[in-house]
Amino acid sequence: MFETRRLSSKVILQVVLTIMVIPFLLPLIAMVQESLSGQGWGNYRAVWATGVVPEFFRNSAIIAVGVIVIVYCLTMLAAYGFAKLHVRGREIYFWLMLAALTLPEVVLLTPMFTTATTLGVYNTYWAVILPLAALQIPFTVLLTRSFVKSIPDELFDAARVDGANAARVFWNIVLPLTRPMAAAIVILTLIGAWNDYLLPLVFLQSPATQTVTLLPSFFVSEFSNDQTKVAASAVITAIPEIIAYLCLQRLFERGLTAGALK
Amino acid sequence: MSNAASGTTVSLTRQPGAAAGHAAPKGRRRGLRPPSGLPWILPAFVFVVGLVYYCIVDTAYISTLNWDGVSPTPQSVGFANYTQLFHDPVFWDSIRHTVYFFVVTFAVQTAVGFTFAALLHSKVKLPNLYKVIIFVPVVIAPATMAPIFRQIFSANGEFNSLLQNVGLGSLAHPWLAQSSTALPVIMAITVWEWTGVTFILYFAAMTQIDKEVLEAARLDGASGLTVLWRIVWPGVRGTTIALAMLSVIGALKTFDVPYLVPGNPGGPNYATEFLGTFIYRISIPTAEVGYGAAISIMLLILALAGAAAFGLRGTRRN
Repeated sequence: MFETRRLSSKVILQVVLTIMVIPFLLPLIAMVQESLSGQGWGNYRAVWATGVVPEFFRNSAIIAVGVIVIVYCLTMLAAYGFAKLHVRGREIYFWLMLAALTLPEVVLLTPMFTTATTLGVYNTYWAVILPLAALQIPFTVLLTRSFVKSIPDELFDAARVDGANAARVFWNIVLPLTRPMAAAIVILTLIGAWNDYLLPLVFLQSPATQTVTLLPSFFVSEFSNDQTKVAASAVITAIPEIIAYLCLQRLFERGLTAGALK
Repeated sequence: MSNAASGTTVSLTRQPGAAAGHAAPKGRRRGLRPPSGLPWILPAFVFVVGLVYYCIVDTAYISTLNWDGVSPTPQSVGFANYTQLFHDPVFWDSIRHTVYFFVVTFAVQTAVGFTFAALLHSKVKLPNLYKVIIFVPVVIAPATMAPIFRQIFSANGEFNSLLQNVGLGSLAHPWLAQSSTALPVIMAITVWEWTGVTFILYFAAMTQIDKEVLEAARLDGASGLTVLWRIVWPGVRGTTIALAMLSVIGALKTFDVPYLVPGNPGGPNYATEFLGTFIYRISIPTAEVGYGAAISIMLLILALAGAAAFGLRGTRRN
């Protein structure tokens, strides 16, 4: 955006950028530094020795996969229905769903709590998976509907003339052509489900089901507030997320810009 | 498609030059009417609307009760919870904090995210390294970073040592323990966590700005800043509006950081109380479930109103 033909302006831009980025880097440096102070790598050994870390990761993975599967399946079906099929009163259905987009999850706490206890899903993965999926679907349907809409009608008409029914069209046209969108849905849902804190806090009460976002609180009580070990546990929790991002950098960025790019 | 519908869809997806030419086809050729889509949308519709609307109706009902959440005989109190709410200073405090939080975080994220996007579109060295540093905070859970930030901003934390090292030691104090600075710290942490999203959206939007217009402006002698202000900034307006809407909803949803970072949730002295932490505290530790439900209903109304305000602005401009 800036013209950088002269060397001096190039240097200035680079310096400005570097100064601006430092505040984003410092907390990460502080985290690593803290995790290595005191007993050094011993902090990591102590955290690992509790043996709970893999369990928390497994729980987060199960919940994330569950949410992703539900969100992906229901979103694809609904996006096809909304974009290309005949639905009487379609906009009413669509807007009723879209209103849920604005819903803060904390509003669901009390009814979810009583329902979950009645249904016996309290302290199970379902108590977190179902509300997370329900709150994610409106946004992914909004994105995917406009994506499916941009597929030319002629393609659908031609398939129908050739005798393909809606299910076949869905399988052979919609699913393959929405693959870029699928990646975006998976990443968006993954970040949302993996990083969620409130629902696990309320609905998951034993380490056997708790997620990685509850690890810091677990270690705060486990090591009676020994900051260095808490920091080590934060690094252990953050590293897989950072690695996942670095490996799938383009997908992460595309996932978040899915709403902004045609 | 109704006008209102296209308005909000577009406000999330509109890009320069892409606004027109997206009207839904009016009436298809006869004999090719598509099959019914109802069975296709029903699973998602029943799931989302069933769960969410059931919860809202239930919350509305609970908000008329005096109930601790477990007693088998809740007592109906009509609108007493709402009357109590309007006289509760903490409720008004949390609304004020939310507004203040929205204005500051949105302004800072927009300015910083936009600047980063413009700088990284300017052929600098190692662009990907900068991108990664800005974006990594987005993927780390706020709950994971919370104990780190609590340490950084504590009395003997890294932030105070940094101030001492640059000769501003007189400013050092326990940032989270003092009411006046606790909320700004919460905002700074949020900016750290979310600027990556703002940046990546602006970065994507800027790739769609017409290069020839930029080149023409430069040939006419416009400086870098003029181009940025006169062409790029208006060109990404759709993104700015979408981000404003996301920030409003995000501010109303704020929970993790003010719950986890201060010494006690929403503290000190309610200085970082938000609607989310307020509802949580009233509903769960205090077990005044009816009162918590009344606050939830107010939060819901504010969220819908906030989203509608920005959605409608998008429609009008269209």
